[in-house]
Amino acid sequence: MKSKAVEIVNFTKKFGDFTAVDNLNLEIYENEVFGLLGPNGSGKTTTLLTIATVYKPTSGDIYVFGHSVTREDYVVRKLVGIAFQEPKAMWIDKPYDLLTWHARIVGYSMSDAKKIVREVMELLGLWEHRNKQFYQLSGGTRKKVELAKVLIQKPRVAILDEPTAQVDVLSKHALWDVIKKLRDEGTTVIIATNDMFEAERVCEKIAIIYKGKLRAMGTISELKDSIPRGDVIEIQYEGSRIPEKLFASLEEYGRIETQSSTLRIYVEKGEEKVLDVIDLFRKNNVKILRIMVKEPTLDDVFTYITGAKLREES
Amino acid sequence: MKNPDLRNNLKIILLVASWDLMKLKNQKVFLAMRIAWFTLQVLVFARAISYIVSQGILAYTGGVDYYYFYLLGIYTSLLYSTSISRGYVVADEFDDGIVEYHLSLPIKRSLFAVGRVLGCSLSTIIFTLPMMAVVYAILKVSNFLSILLSLIFALLFSIGIVGFVLLLVFAVRSADLTDILVGAIDALLVRLSTVFYPLPVIEATGIAPYYVAALMNPISHLSDFLRVLVFPEYYLVLRQGIVPTIVYMVAFSMGFLVIAIEYYERKLEAGGWK
Repeated sequence: MKSKAVEIVNFTKKFGDFTAVDNLNLEIYENEVFGLLGPNGSGKTTTLLTIATVYKPTSGDIYVFGHSVTREDYVVRKLVGIAFQEPKAMWIDKPYDLLTWHARIVGYSMSDAKKIVREVMELLGLWEHRNKQFYQLSGGTRKKVELAKVLIQKPRVAILDEPTAQVDVLSKHALWDVIKKLRDEGTTVIIATNDMFEAERVCEKIAIIYKGKLRAMGTISELKDSIPRGDVIEIQYEGSRIPEKLFASLEEYGRIETQSSTLRIYVEKGEEKVLDVIDLFRKNNVKILRIMVKEPTLDDVFTYITGAKLREES
Repeated sequence: MKNPDLRNNLKIILLVASWDLMKLKNQKVFLAMRIAWFTLQVLVFARAISYIVSQGILAYTGGVDYYYFYLLGIYTSLLYSTSISRGYVVADEFDDGIVEYHLSLPIKRSLFAVGRVLGCSLSTIIFTLPMMAVVYAILKVSNFLSILLSLIFALLFSIGIVGFVLLLVFAVRSADLTDILVGAIDALLVRLSTVFYPLPVIEATGIAPYYVAALMNPISHLSDFLRVLVFPEYYLVLRQGIVPTIVYMVAFSMGFLVIAIEYYERKLEAGGWK
């Protein structure tokens, strides 16, 4: 059985009168890629920065492998590495110097630091930029420098705050592979994102946070299945009408919409029902030209749960 | 005015001029500080200059030429302002959110605070080393022990000043307010010290707060300590002797270092100024 990497217990964080996170409870298990999904200002970054001991909880606590961020912050910091949303460097800093210093701080000897920095910079395509000053780097390259810090550190818990924001599409795919590799090597990865495609592509489990509160949590399929009749079985059939008997049978599965020779049935767990639907068509001698099962997107899940559109909120 | 063009042009010029006049009301603090400095200069420091001119200086410097007296004072003043600016780098980092990265690093915060204070102080010493070399060359100082002690006490002084700046930065959390405070403290501390005026001269002005401020001022202590190292005869000027100065310098540096560590370790939390 997997152990808890991070346990968030009744965590509240206030800045003056503003409540950024309100009584959050969450468990993240070892070797998961866990996503915090929510629009900007939902409390994702505040939660991540508190796990990294950069913020202190107003109330409640967070435990990393059983160590409290309030009482054992130093122990927690040795377990956690973070790639910030905004790259942390002064405009005159050079990536190579910055990463070598970081490697030394996280415990590498000078010769090992040089080796690992080169390795990671080459992996992320940063080597040619090593001696440029930060202001000369593109937004995407700066983000890669942030990610490089975590890859060098190889922490037990890696926190990545919007790791691929400002990164071009090709590099995004490469970075997602790097993140998965990090997980495969034994690191628990927590990603904050408002990119649904990224969340679906990388995360095994997702928590939806909105206005400082946890709204839902589960695997992607669990979240999608949480929308009542959120799946759509779309069938294109031969002919202009289907027999009434078949229509009545299909209605038992869910609401039906028809448009010329296309029929849509709104069902739960569409992947399980689709074979029954095909069977019904066959028994009624109606030929299916095309059939597909559409799942709701995470955007649909977010809208269903919060009543808001993720894209608009972000 | 009969010429309408001339009248129109004049109106435009006055309107353009009002742009700068309008800004004046947003610079009340700046104006108040200027007035305060001028008043202080006229009422307090001018008296010290007047005293130096009317009485002759040698009696108040233990026979040390004022030029030499001034050289070690101005070096201390430079060391002070460089320490302030090195410490202020942390304020810039705070502004850019880099403090969040530093707070997340897997090291003890007390060690990090010590490292930062030491780093800022050492870089101050390195930065001001050529200036020290120029001053010591003019003064023809070649005694190794004097130079070594000068460097050690310059470092202690810088540690105290950097610790103080860090504390200010962390506590105030506002770039504008820090700028104003650092500017005000900088102007006051250098003036209310023995950088330019020997302690007996300050005493002779008859302004007790000025004398007490100069006596308590770390800049006075370092500049006088350096003077004693280079010109042992200056020792005669220091009524309290040199031991209290040594104790003061050690306590000053360690005191602010410990307070900065304590603050960094227990109270500091990110959430940048922006």
